[in-house]
Amino acid sequence: MKNKVIIIGAGPAGLSAAITLAEKNIAVLVIDEYLYAGGRLLGQLYEESPGKWWNGIAVSKRLFERAKALNVELLLQTSVSDLEKIEQEWTVHTNKGVFRTRQLLLATGAAESPFPIPGWTLPGVMSVGAAQVMTNVHRVKPGKRGVIIGVNVLSSAIAMELQIASVQVAAITLPATNLLTEDSGNPLEVMNSLLHVSQMAPSPLVKIGSKFMKNEFMKKLGITFYPKNGVKMWDIPIMLRKAVVEIVGKDQVEGVVIATVNTDGSIVLGSEKRIKADFVCIAGGLYPLAELASLAGCPFHYIEQLGGFIPLHNEQMETNLEGLHVAGNITGIEGAKVALAQGKVAALTIAYKLNTGTTKQEIQRAIEDVETTRANAHIQFHPEVLAGRQQLKKIWTESFLKVTK
Amino acid sequence: MQNKSMIVCRCEEVSYDELVEVASENNCSARELKLRTRAAMGYCGGRTCRTMVDHIAHKHHPRQDSEISLKYQAPIRPVRFAELGEVK
Repeated sequence: MKNKVIIIGAGPAGLSAAITLAEKNIAVLVIDEYLYAGGRLLGQLYEESPGKWWNGIAVSKRLFERAKALNVELLLQTSVSDLEKIEQEWTVHTNKGVFRTRQLLLATGAAESPFPIPGWTLPGVMSVGAAQVMTNVHRVKPGKRGVIIGVNVLSSAIAMELQIASVQVAAITLPATNLLTEDSGNPLEVMNSLLHVSQMAPSPLVKIGSKFMKNEFMKKLGITFYPKNGVKMWDIPIMLRKAVVEIVGKDQVEGVVIATVNTDGSIVLGSEKRIKADFVCIAGGLYPLAELASLAGCPFHYIEQLGGFIPLHNEQMETNLEGLHVAGNITGIEGAKVALAQGKVAALTIAYKLNTGTTKQEIQRAIEDVETTRANAHIQFHPEVLAGRQQLKKIWTESFLKVTK
Repeated sequence: MQNKSMIVCRCEEVSYDELVEVASENNCSARELKLRTRAAMGYCGGRTCRTMVDHIAHKHHPRQDSEISLKYQAPIRPVRFAELGEVK
C-alpha cells in the first residue's frame, strides 16, 4: 500500500481528486465512513434553472463509477480515528487497519452546528441535514409534518426537497433567542443574509425587494411589516416574525410552541401558539470538519465567512506540512461544484510532486477554474465568502511565503 | 423559558444555564469552560456541542483566532479496546 496516495473523504472533493490522480496513472485509496460514496452530495436535489436539476445521487453515482473504472480503491464504512506522521509517512489509523502514505489529502467536508431549543432532546428532533439524508438518500420520510427552525440557504433548499418527497413542512421559522441563537433568532440579521442570496431563490422574498432593501431603514421597515404568518415560498410559510420557544411532546415530538417576535428577536408576550408537528429540524449552519488536520498539527485560523476554524493552506491546496493537502468544505463552506474543482487542484498538486508529467500550467488552470466556479455559484453559504478566501490567502502569505522562497 | 433543563452537552448532561453561569462567573476560555463543566468531554468527543460551548465561552472571553479553541484528541471516533491493543 506504500505508494498509494490516500484520500480521506469520498465526497465531491475526494472523488474528483481520486479521479484526477487515477487519470494520471497514480494509485489511490479513498477512505470514507459512510455506506455510499458521494458524501453530502448524495442529499442534494434542486432546480438550477428552469427544468435543469442538480441531482446529487446521480452526480455521485457518475463520479463513483468513473473512479471504479479507473481502479481507484474505495474503502467505505471505515472510520479514521487518528493521524500521525511517522518517519516521513502519514500514518492513518482506521477501524479496518493502519494505512501509510507520503501524500495525503483530507477531504472530510463539514458538520452541522446545532443550537439548543427547550425540548430539543426529544425523539423526532434532528438536524436539517439528517432529514435531508433520510429523505433523499435512504428514502425514508422523517415524519408527516415538520417544522424547520433556522431560516437560511440550506434550510430553505432542504424544505423544498422535503416538499418534493410529499413531506409537509408546516413552517420555516426562527429560534427563540438565547446566547447561541443571537444571529439566527434575529429577524433583521436573517433578512439581511437572505437578501444576499436572493438570486438563488425564486422566492417572494426577492420580490419584496432586494432593490428596496439596500439601506438599513428600508430593511427595518421591511421586517416591521413582514406578514406575521410569513411569506410562502414553494407553498411553505417562511416566518421571519415568529420563533419557536419550545418543542413539545411526551415521548416524542408532538408540536412546537411559536410566538410572535419583535424586529430585534424579543418575544411578544401572550402571542404563544401551539402548532402540530411530528418532527422538527434544527438548521444551525455548517462548519468545516477539521479534526484530522488538527491532529496532524496544522495551524488554523478562525474565519467567520468560511464557517469556522480553517486549516491554513495555499491555492495549490497544500498545508504547511509536507505531503498534507486539503480540499472541499474542510477549507471553507461552499457548494459541491467548488469542492469538485478544489479536489482537482489538490490532485494535480500531488501529481506534480510525483513527477508524472503534470505541469504548473495545468495546476494554474485548475485554480482559475475554482475561481470561476465560485463566481458562478448557485448557492452561497456566506455572502462574503470571497473576502474570507482573501483573508486566508493573506494569512498564508504572511506566515509561510518567506519560508518557502 | 426552561433553560435549566435545556441540555447542551448530551453525553455529560450539561445544561445551557450551567454553561452560561460558569462562563460569566469565571470569564473563562472555551477550554476552561469545558474542564469546569465536562461539556464536550463525553463519548462523542464534543461532536455535537463543540460549537455551542465555544460560542458561549466566546461571549465572555475573546477568542484567539489563530488557535483552535477546543483541541481535538485522538481517537476522534469511538474505537474498540481490541483495536487499540491489537487483541485478536
